[in-house]
Amino acid sequence: MKKTIILSSIVALLCSCNPETWDLDIAGMFSGSSAGIDTRIDDSFRYNDEHGFPVIFANDEEYKTYICTDTHVDTTRNYWTRFIYAYRADLDCPLAIHLGDLINAQRHWDFMKEPLTTIPANPLKKDTLLAVAGNHDLYFNQWSEYVRLWKTSTYYAIVRTPAGKQDLYIFIDTGEGILGKRQTEWLTSTLNWADKQGFRHISVCTHTHLFKRDSSQGHTSNMPLEETYALINLLKQHKVELYWCGHDHSREVTNLGSMQAVLIDALYDAEPNPAYIIATYGDEPIRYQFINL
Amino acid sequence: MKKLSTLIVMMVVLLPAMAQVQYGTDQYAVRLNVGYLHNTTYGSYAGFDIGGFMPINQHFEMQADLRFTTANTHAFGVQLRPKFPLPVGELFIEDRLLAGFYKRDNFNDMVHAIGVGYRMDYVSVQFGMSTRLIIPIPYNWHDVSEITLEPFNLTYRVEVFVRPHTSPWNISACISNMTDYQIERMWQPIFMLGGLYNIDEHWRVNLSALCKPTGMFHLNAKYYAAEVRAGFAYKF
Repeated sequence: MKKTIILSSIVALLCSCNPETWDLDIAGMFSGSSAGIDTRIDDSFRYNDEHGFPVIFANDEEYKTYICTDTHVDTTRNYWTRFIYAYRADLDCPLAIHLGDLINAQRHWDFMKEPLTTIPANPLKKDTLLAVAGNHDLYFNQWSEYVRLWKTSTYYAIVRTPAGKQDLYIFIDTGEGILGKRQTEWLTSTLNWADKQGFRHISVCTHTHLFKRDSSQGHTSNMPLEETYALINLLKQHKVELYWCGHDHSREVTNLGSMQAVLIDALYDAEPNPAYIIATYGDEPIRYQFINL
Repeated sequence: MKKLSTLIVMMVVLLPAMAQVQYGTDQYAVRLNVGYLHNTTYGSYAGFDIGGFMPINQHFEMQADLRFTTANTHAFGVQLRPKFPLPVGELFIEDRLLAGFYKRDNFNDMVHAIGVGYRMDYVSVQFGMSTRLIIPIPYNWHDVSEITLEPFNLTYRVEVFVRPHTSPWNISACISNMTDYQIERMWQPIFMLGGLYNIDEHWRVNLSALCKPTGMFHLNAKYYAAEVRAGFAYKF
C-alpha cells in the first residue's frame, strides 16, 4: 500500500510538470525525439537548392569576421546584444557568425532574434549574420523553429573581396554530436570542389568541439573518436585553416598541423568569462583575437 | 587511535587471507574472436582480435589484446591488474595502456588508464581516469606542437552478471566508456552485452555485442556504432 502511494505520487508529480517550461530534455539522453541529422540535412539541402549559397562582398582585401557562440538566450540577452552592436559598428566587418546554442531552451527564439531587427543597421556598410544549430537549438523538437528563423544549418558562404579573391566558410551541423554519413559526403564533395576554386582561406564553422584539452570534465560531450579523427583528416587534406567551434564554453586553441581548432568561450549572460572572436581575413594567414566582455 | 590503527592494519593483512571467493584466478587462456562492426563514419567492416589472459598468481593478472579491422584501424592493449581478495568480493586496481592505430585517418592515439574496482559475484564496479595522446601520421619527431593531449577523462565500468563467477556459463550487461579496444571520453558511454559458456576444462565460447550511441549529453541521443563478435578461448 505504502509503495503504491509513493509510486502514484511520483507519477502524479511527473504528470503535473509542464514540459513547456523544462530547460533540459532529459529523455533525449536515452532516446532523442528531436529531428535527427538526416532530417536536418534534408531540410537544409532543400533550402540550399531553392535559395543558393550566400555570397558576401567585403569592402577591402582585408576584412574582419566576428564570431560568437553559445549565447543561450533565455530571459536576458545582454552579451548577445552587445555583440550585434559591435559587429554592426565595425566598418571592416561584412560577416558575423554564430556557432550555435543560440537559445538556452525552448520558447526563446523570437526574443533571441529580435535585436537583429530592432538594432539599426549601419548605413555605411552591409553585413550578414550566419548561424549553425547547436544542441540547445534542437532538443524538445525545436528544429522547426530553427528552420523558421535561420533556414539552414549545413551550407557554405563565400566572401568576395574587391580584387576578386574569395574566402570559403563551410557550416556543418554537429548539433547532436555527429556528422552523419550524408553530411560527411556533402562536406567531402564541397571540399573537393573548393580545391579547384583557389580559395584564399577555407574555414569550417560548427558547434561541437573536437578535443577536450583542459583538465575539467565540464558538461559537454563531443563527437565519437572515430568521427573526430576522420573529420580532422578530411579537413587537413583539403587545407582547411581554421575550425571554429563552441559548445564547451571555455576557450581552447589546438594546433593540428596545418589546421587550428579554436574553441570560443560562451556569450551566455550567466557565463563568468564571456568572449567572442574578431578574425582578420587577408592575404596573410588568418589572425584572430578574443574579445573579453 | 593506536588501537584503531592496529585494527585497520590487521584488517588489511587478514582480509585477503579470509577471502573465500577469488575472481579471475582462472587458467591461462588465449582467445580468438571475429566480429562484425558498423559505425556511421566507416560503414560496415570486420574485426579480428586475439587476446591472452595471464593469471600470474592470486594477487596479480595480466591481459593483452590485439585487434585488426578491415577499416584499417587497429589496436593493441595491455592490462595489469593487482587484486586484493576480500571476504566478500575482490578489490582490484586496473592499469591499462591502449594504443589505437587509426591508419585510415592518419592518427595514432595512446591512452593510459588507471582505475580501481570492486568485483562481486553479480556486480562489478570500476572507476578511474585516463590520459590520451593523439599523434598525427606522419609525425615530425622534432616538433611536439602537433601532439594533442587530453590530460584527464573519467573512466567507468559497471557490469552485472546473471550467474556467479564459478558458473560454467554467464551473461553480463555492462555500461562503460571502455572496451578492450577503445577508451572513449566520459560523455560517450558504450552499452555492452556478453555471454560465455565453458564447454569443458579447456574450451570456452563467447559472444558479445555493443552499441555506442552518440549525442547522449547533447540530449538528442542517436545511434552511432554497433558490434557483434564471437569466438572461443583455449585455457591451459
